[in-house]
Amino acid sequence: MEFYNKPGEYDAINYIPHTESHGTKELWKTFWLLLGITLFDFMIYFVMPASGFRNFIFIFFGLVKAYFIVGAFMHLKHEKMTLALIILVPTIFICGLIIGLLYEGSALEVMKSM
Amino acid sequence: MANHTTTEASFENQPTWSGGRSPFNVSYGKLMMWIFLLSDAFTFSSLLVQYGTQRFSNVVTPITTKWPDPASIFNHFPGMHGFHLPLLFVSVMTFILILSSVTMVLAVEAGHRNSKKEVSKFMIYTIFGGLAFLGCQAWEWYTFIGEGARLDGNTFGITKQGYDHLHSVGFGSHFEWLDGDRTFGPVPFAALFFIVTGFHGFHVFSGVVINVVVYIMTVRGVFERRGHYEMIEKAGLYWHFVDLVWVFVFTFFYLI
Repeated sequence: MEFYNKPGEYDAINYIPHTESHGTKELWKTFWLLLGITLFDFMIYFVMPASGFRNFIFIFFGLVKAYFIVGAFMHLKHEKMTLALIILVPTIFICGLIIGLLYEGSALEVMKSM
Repeated sequence: MANHTTTEASFENQPTWSGGRSPFNVSYGKLMMWIFLLSDAFTFSSLLVQYGTQRFSNVVTPITTKWPDPASIFNHFPGMHGFHLPLLFVSVMTFILILSSVTMVLAVEAGHRNSKKEVSKFMIYTIFGGLAFLGCQAWEWYTFIGEGARLDGNTFGITKQGYDHLHSVGFGSHFEWLDGDRTFGPVPFAALFFIVTGFHGFHVFSGVVINVVVYIMTVRGVFERRGHYEMIEKAGLYWHFVDLVWVFVFTFFYLI
């Protein structure tokens, strides 16, 4: 492990862990994957008629893209598990909130027509 | 030198949670960038919650005053006036943002190798990608406002006649609205579009500013003297977050 700090200056604020380059192979792979998924979305949009299932496909592939951006581009896959958890756990709860409020929105629709 | 090594080892060997070192094994600045991004994710989530609730209480149907079908509105392409080209322009925008994301991450990778020349090259590409995206968004807004989109109203509701008319034309064919095709729709439609894409566009703008600052610092050799290019990583985290938000804006505002 290498440190950038001067000798004797190791403290929590100035501490910078040395980061190794993992090469560009994984990055380009992620790029082609993101591009492929976007083109797939584009194709599905015109081939399939609008339906709940088509929306499910779009959201599913949106989450897949998010996984690759956060994991590979933002490097979270290679960070410590504790860091990944403090970022991801609240986000998952927010997704629950969104789904819950979509049901509330539907209920609002029904109430408006009563 | 021996003393140096001992200090290094004793620092590294401290227990994870008893203080004196970063328990996440990242620098303070990078950890704070992650915490900021988490808070920013909450901000966008609150907008998304509002959008989802509004949209689900005005379900998309072909018959009048419901939530407008995005394919009926965002179907323009620069230089192709009057043609029905849904999703094409926004896909180009998505492509630009993904491309600028990959040049950003290549700059980060070059930073790990302390290659000043490559970092500056990829930062320039990223900045141009960001500017191209902003230009596209400006054109999108210009067209949308030109069609009558306002914060306080929505003239994009489609009647049954309009729905049948729209779905009788194929991709790329000539298309113009007829009388009686359109009516009033749910008011928050355009407002939510402007607020969410505007908020995202503002983030892209801030990202471009941050990237320009970091680029100038790179060229002037600030990071070279510092001995590491960690600032590129922090700017990169922000830039990828902007790309991440766009994935969801693209999905919820254009695809669905």
